[in-house]
Amino acid sequence: MDILEYAWLIPVLPLLAFVFIGFFGKKLNDLNGYIAVGGVGAGMVLALWTAFELLTTGRVYSTSQTWVVLSSEYTLEMGVYLDNVAAMMLIVVSFIAFLVVVYSTAYMHDQGPRRHRYFTEICLFVGVMLGLVLANNFFQMFVFWELVGLCSYLLIGFWYERPSAARAAKKAFLVTRVGDVMFMVGLFILFTELGTFNYEQVWHALDTADPTMMAFAAFFLFGGAIGKSAQFPLHDWLPDAMEGPTTVSALIHAATMVNAGVYLVARSFPIIATSAEVSLFVGAIGGITAFVAASMALCAPKIKGVLAYSTVSQLGYMILGLGAGAFLWHHGHHVEGSIAFGAGLFHLMNHAFFKGQLFLGAGAVIHYVHTEDLAQMGGLGKYMKVSMITMLISCISIAGIPPLSGFWSKDEVLAVTFEAGDAGLTFMVLWVLGVLTAFMTAFYMFRMWFMVFKGQPNEGTRHATEHGHHKHEAPIAMLLPLVILAALAFASGFALFIGDGFFGAIYFEHAHVLTMGERLTEVFTSPLTYISIVAAVSGIMLAYFSFYKTKISAEKVVSKGFPKAMHQLLLDRYKFPVAYDKIGYVGVYGFSLLLDKFDRYVIDGIVNGIAAFLTKAGGVVRKLQNGYVQSYATLLLIGVSVIVILLYVVGVLR
Amino acid sequence: MIPLEFVLIITSVLFVIGAAGVILKKNAIMILMCIEIMLNAAIINLVAFSSYFGDATGQGFALFSIGIAAAEVTIALAILLNLNKLRKTVDVDEINLLRW
Repeated sequence: MDILEYAWLIPVLPLLAFVFIGFFGKKLNDLNGYIAVGGVGAGMVLALWTAFELLTTGRVYSTSQTWVVLSSEYTLEMGVYLDNVAAMMLIVVSFIAFLVVVYSTAYMHDQGPRRHRYFTEICLFVGVMLGLVLANNFFQMFVFWELVGLCSYLLIGFWYERPSAARAAKKAFLVTRVGDVMFMVGLFILFTELGTFNYEQVWHALDTADPTMMAFAAFFLFGGAIGKSAQFPLHDWLPDAMEGPTTVSALIHAATMVNAGVYLVARSFPIIATSAEVSLFVGAIGGITAFVAASMALCAPKIKGVLAYSTVSQLGYMILGLGAGAFLWHHGHHVEGSIAFGAGLFHLMNHAFFKGQLFLGAGAVIHYVHTEDLAQMGGLGKYMKVSMITMLISCISIAGIPPLSGFWSKDEVLAVTFEAGDAGLTFMVLWVLGVLTAFMTAFYMFRMWFMVFKGQPNEGTRHATEHGHHKHEAPIAMLLPLVILAALAFASGFALFIGDGFFGAIYFEHAHVLTMGERLTEVFTSPLTYISIVAAVSGIMLAYFSFYKTKISAEKVVSKGFPKAMHQLLLDRYKFPVAYDKIGYVGVYGFSLLLDKFDRYVIDGIVNGIAAFLTKAGGVVRKLQNGYVQSYATLLLIGVSVIVILLYVVGVLR
Repeated sequence: MIPLEFVLIITSVLFVIGAAGVILKKNAIMILMCIEIMLNAAIINLVAFSSYFGDATGQGFALFSIGIAAAEVTIALAILLNLNKLRKTVDVDEINLLRW
C-alpha cells in the first residue's frame, strides 16, 4: 500500500469531524472535544506517516484532476502535491494542531454550549490548513487560503459579545484581505502569462516567461504573504487577534494562519528568485518586520501581546531567510540559496514548536490568574512549576542560546543574510537589524518570563492564590502538550543532525548534506555565531538585571526625555492602528463621501432634473387640453395645413 | 364641359367656408352642418376628378361617402339630442368637461 495515495484523506479527517460536530454536536457537550481530538488526531497520524514516507524516500508525489474547464486551453485543477516542504508543513501543522485541540478540551471546559461552536470551527481551521499544504496549484491554495482567513475571523471573534473581540476579528479579516487582493492580482498575472497554476508547470515555465511580468507576479504573490503572515506594514492585525481564546492564538501563531504566508513564499520561491528587486524587497520586508515588531514587544503590557509581537518578529526572520535565499539564487549561488530556503523553513518549524509552547503556557498562566496584565502577575513560579520550567526552555530557545532549537535556525537565517550581503549591501543592513532583533528578542522574552514567574507576587497573583481555588496549576490535558512542546522546543534543532541533516531533507533543488561534525565546525568556527550568541546573552542579562535583580529600574529609564517618548511610541505601536484608522477614514471614508456627494448631486441631480423638467413641461403642455372642441379642431387644421405645405415645399407632392 | 379648375375653385371655397364654420360657430348643430359642407366639397372633388380622368371609381366613392355621411349625421344628431336633454344646451363652449 502506498500511503501517499491516501494523503488526500489528511484534511478530510478533521473536516469530517467538523461536519459531524457541526451537525450533531449540539447536545454532546464533553464529547465534542473528544471527537475533535479524534478527527485531528487521525489526520495527524496519517500526516506523520505521509511525511515519514516522503522524507525517508525523498519522493515527490503529485496527482491532479480537472476541476473547472474554462476553455480548451485554460483549466483549473484540484490535486495533491507532496514534496519535502509539504512534508515538513504537515508535521508542524498536524502535530501542533493536535496538541492544541487536546489542550482545548481542558482549557475551554468552562465555556458550556460555546464549546460546540469552538470545536466545530477549530476542526475546520485545521482541516483547511492541511488542505492548503497539500494543494498542487496556486489556485487551490488560494481557495483554502480564504477558508483559513474565514476561520481566523470566526475564532478571533469567538467572544463576539465583546466589542474589542468583534473589532479584532473584523480587523484581522480586512487587513489580511488587502493581502488577499494582491494575491489574486498575482494569480491573474500568473494565469494570463503561463496559463497554469500548477506548481511544477509554473516552475518549469519560468525560464521562458517574460521576466517583467514574473517580477510583478512575484511581488503580488508576496503581497498575499505580507497580509497573511502579518509582515510590515500589514502586521497590526496580529496583536489585536489576541482577543480570541488563547488556544486559538496558539493555533494561529504556531500551526496555521501565519505559516500559510511563509508557505506561500516558499511555493513561489522560484518566481521570486527570477527578480533581484523582488527578492531584495522580500528580504527587506522580513528584516524590517523582525526589527519593528521586536521593538514593540519590548514594553508590551500584556503577556499575549509580547508573544504576538514576538511572532511577527520571528515571521520576519523566516521571510528574511527566504528573501535572502531568493536573492542568492538569482545571483547564481544555487547551493547557498537552497540553504537559505531551508533556513527560513527550519525557523518556521522551530518557531512553531516554541511559540506553540509559549502560547499554551501563557494560556495556563491566564487560566490560573485570570488576567493578561504582566504587571499584575509575578511570583507565579512557586505555584506553576511545570509552566515555569517549560516556558523557560522555550524562552531560551527563542532567545537563541545553543544548543536549543531557536539558536540553530536563527543563526542559519542570519548567516545566509550575511552571505547575501556580499551580493547586495542592503542585506548587510538587514543582517545588522537581525542581530539587533536577536538582542531584543532575548530581552523581551526574559522580561516576560521574569515578570510572570519571579519577583514579588502582585495583585493578580495574590488574588488567585489567596482564595485557594486552584490547588493544581492546570489539568493534565493542558500540561502534557506543554511538556511535549517544550521537549520539541529544546530538541527540534537537532533535526540538523538526523540522517542527511535538515538541509539535506528540506531544500530547493540542491540538497546540502553535511555530517554532524562538519555542521558543528561550520557553525562554531564562524564569528557570526558568536555575535548572535553575545547579542542573545546580553539581552537576557539586561532583562535579568532590570526585572529580576531590579538593579536597573525600567520605570526610571522611561520616565523622561527621549526614552519616554520612545516608550509611548512603542506602546502606541508606532501609531500603526491610528494610521490604519486614518487611512480607512481619510481614504475609504473620504472617497465614500465623495461618491456619496457624486451620487447625491450628480446622479440624483440628473434623474431628478429629468423628472422635474418633464413635470414642468407637462404642466405647460396640458393647458392645451382645455376641453374646447373647437380649439382642437383649429389645431388639427393648422397641423394638417402645415404638414401639407411642408410636404409641398420639400417636393413630395409635386 | 366645365373646366376642372372651376370646379376645384368652387370646392375650395366651400371647404374653407365649412372649416371656418367648424372653428367659429358656437352652436353644435351649425358645426355639424359645416362639417357636411366640407364633406360635400370633398365629394364634389371626387366626382370632378372622376369625370376628368374618365374613371368611374371616383363616382363610386362619392356615393359611398354620401352613404357614410348620412350614417354619421344620424349618430351625431343622436348625440346632440342626448346632450340637449342632459345639459339643456348645444353650445360647444359650455361642453368642456373633458379637460386637464
